Amino acid sequence: MSTLAADPLHDRFAAIVGARNAISEATELRTYECDGLLGFRIRPRIVVLPATTEEVAACVRLAAEHGLPIVPRGAGTGLSGGSLPVEGGIVIGTSRMTRILDVDFPNRRMRVQPGVINLDISKHLAPHGYYYAPDPSSQSVCTIGGNVAENSGGAHCLKYGFTVNHAVAARIVLSDGSIVDIGASEGEADARGYDLMGVFVGSEGLLGIVTEVVVRILRKPQATRTIFGTFPSTDEAGAAVSAIISSGILPAAIEMCDALAIEAIVAATGVDWPLDVGAALLMDVDGVTSEVEHTAEASIALMRECGAIEIRAPRDDAERLLMWKGRKAAFAAMGRISPNYHVQDGVIPRKDIAAVLREIAQLGRDAGLRIANVFHAGDGNLHPLVLYDQRVPGEEAKAEHVAGDILRVCLKYGGSVTGEHGVGRDKACYLGEQFSDDDLATMKLVRAAFDPRELFNPDKVFPTPHLCGDRPGPYVPHPTELSGEAGRG
Amino acid sequence: MVSIAGVTPERALVPADRVELSAIVRDLYAAGKTFAFVGGGTELELGNPPRAIDTVVRTTALDRVIDYSPEDQTITVEAGMRIAALDAVLAEHNQLLPLETGDRRNATIGGAIATNAFGAQRHRYGSIKDLIVGIEFVRPDGTVAHGGGKVVKNVAGFDLPKLMVGSLGTLGGIASATFRVFPKPAGTRTVLVRTSPASAFYEALLEDRSLEPIAVAHHPAEGGIVLTFAGLIAGVAQQIAHVTQLAATHAIPVEELDQTALDRLAGAESSIRCSGAWRWTVSTNPVGACARVPAPVTTTAEIGYPTLGVTLASAAADASLDALNAARGAAIVFRAMPQHARGRIDAWGDPPQSFPLMRALKTNFDPKGLCNPGRFVGGL
Repeated sequence: MSTLAADPLHDRFAAIVGARNAISEATELRTYECDGLLGFRIRPRIVVLPATTEEVAACVRLAAEHGLPIVPRGAGTGLSGGSLPVEGGIVIGTSRMTRILDVDFPNRRMRVQPGVINLDISKHLAPHGYYYAPDPSSQSVCTIGGNVAENSGGAHCLKYGFTVNHAVAARIVLSDGSIVDIGASEGEADARGYDLMGVFVGSEGLLGIVTEVVVRILRKPQATRTIFGTFPSTDEAGAAVSAIISSGILPAAIEMCDALAIEAIVAATGVDWPLDVGAALLMDVDGVTSEVEHTAEASIALMRECGAIEIRAPRDDAERLLMWKGRKAAFAAMGRISPNYHVQDGVIPRKDIAAVLREIAQLGRDAGLRIANVFHAGDGNLHPLVLYDQRVPGEEAKAEHVAGDILRVCLKYGGSVTGEHGVGRDKACYLGEQFSDDDLATMKLVRAAFDPRELFNPDKVFPTPHLCGDRPGPYVPHPTELSGEAGRG
Repeated sequence: MVSIAGVTPERALVPADRVELSAIVRDLYAAGKTFAFVGGGTELELGNPPRAIDTVVRTTALDRVIDYSPEDQTITVEAGMRIAALDAVLAEHNQLLPLETGDRRNATIGGAIATNAFGAQRHRYGSIKDLIVGIEFVRPDGTVAHGGGKVVKNVAGFDLPKLMVGSLGTLGGIASATFRVFPKPAGTRTVLVRTSPASAFYEALLEDRSLEPIAVAHHPAEGGIVLTFAGLIAGVAQQIAHVTQLAATHAIPVEELDQTALDRLAGAESSIRCSGAWRWTVSTNPVGACARVPAPVTTTAEIGYPTLGVTLASAAADASLDALNAARGAAIVFRAMPQHARGRIDAWGDPPQSFPLMRALKTNFDPKGLCNPGRFVGGL
């Protein structure tokens, strides 16, 4: 602990949050060096763990006074490096802000502190027949504050929408330390004036830090039916997804796994899915019983028409949960079949799923790397996992190249580089391929209104020459750039 | 010449395409002229009188479908397209954009976005914020900017589409937008339940898990709550049978509304819109809506639940200013008011606590303050 006194600012932050909650000792700081994007590690100067809005505001004011960059952090489960620290900056962690402040059943709203775990909201509501809809796969550990920053989705956002559709208001702290309430205040359905909440959600910690969130809570559907279907290849599975949705059915969720993903999930979770198939779909339909029975049967018929090998329904709730647990554990399961992987999060129009998966497979073959796919098929949000072995020289760089090329395929089909993981540090260098310089400059006007000094989460989201010359994610010039049509910010 | 909240501009320009739209705006801005964007002109009463408007830029010639992918259930259209024209395009593929606005024949997509139009179906589909996935707009200085995209799920970059919804053309002019669209339900049926939104029965209806209405509206003139069910024909029939049975046990009458009755309801609302009467939105959640709606003057009302909780009401022309102002606590926005009242009443009420952020946004987007100045919240 000898380094404690070395940082003169430590004591000043400790005076705000308490000595135990201001961290500047090197080994303790290691916990905060990265988030779920493990390839990037930066040691922050100080980590503070405030308990109240006022403590957050005081920490922000102190950091601002010294011009220190501020990185907000929830559970650190993000996959794009959104809470990667900045060298010499502070990290404000919300892990002590875990109180549920108010549940308003008549108006179906709930006010929570940002460190509350996503799944704990639904657990808290379960005895009353209510739940919180957005369900990122990390929901048992990720926090609602992080969800607000990332506009987190999840399997069931196909029918129910993303965090932005469910977080209606927030208390935030701006970079000057001011405390501002945004969104619909109590007694309002919509805020008057600009939709600050709409633009704050998904701003990846660049506009400020959230210290309270008001979310909509939903009544649990009367019935849910889960269907599991296997197919010879992702072509048939993709066709089934299109057929189901084109028929007018809106599943609560419809997820696809390819053969490699199934292999990993089976190895990791013990779920008894067949290993000799090319793809599987896991689907939920929910709503009133009278509708659900019919849509489930109609979906099964469409799966069969599209060439399903086998259709299963879970025997009971326990088996249903196991199936979903298998799906949600998919990323972690990759460890069973590969020492390392690089995950991407591109989105494509749903009708192009089969074609894009073929292109992705070709990229993998060309590079000599395996690519597993497990993703939200209903909304075209791919999660290709490029598998590699860090110990093999050059393989990591190859995997990053392939991952980048996958994003370019998504953009070629009119898609997006990220559906739910965020741009963060990971994809900042690709944002300029999705948006023009004018588009990015317009987004920066928004940032300048909230944080003119750019103290919050610098070096994230927006491409800069500084970032995009860095490792990893070796920079590859876009064809339009080589021809002089487009530049890079 | 159209007049905006009582202010008549000197001239109107009608760009033929989106390129011309940005060129016109760039020139106006460079020349220091004040300007406003107008679509179908169906919500020109909304907001405070602008400080000045030299030029109105009408988007009505920007009426093309840019991209429609029925399979992906997304559509990109220009801002001046009329809602009814969009309905027709989508109907060819048995799809719909669940966006409600008073005057579908005249109202445009851009106007619906700028005014955050919605109705009772917000209960199921959310508001335009929940339907829009991409936007192209012209900043006050003529710069063309995009946000979001053409896919239904996308977190790349800041959510500019959300920022533009309800911004009343004060951050720029909308050129085009992309929406998620939905399949048309096989069946849609509507019932009138003769009970009050303050009743325990109403609460029980909304808590009943075997009922999932797509729209919930309170129509005091009809004497009850109007529930719309949509989906599979058999599923809708079962839900209606269930409501009827529940109501019978409480001796509450339920009647199904046929198309004639629905047209009559729509007509009543439309005639209020055109009457020059006071109109206002009480932006409040459902519990507030029950408790605080100003009682004396309501003729039609909509209450979605739980996300909407907004009442559209109409007052007699002679409604007392004092009574209306007294209800201000419930975040009332006046959507229309007589000319003589404009100087006395702020349409938006006191700006929210976050107003300095809004002012900073406006200043950054429109440093010269030329774009629809003074019409929006807090004089933005």
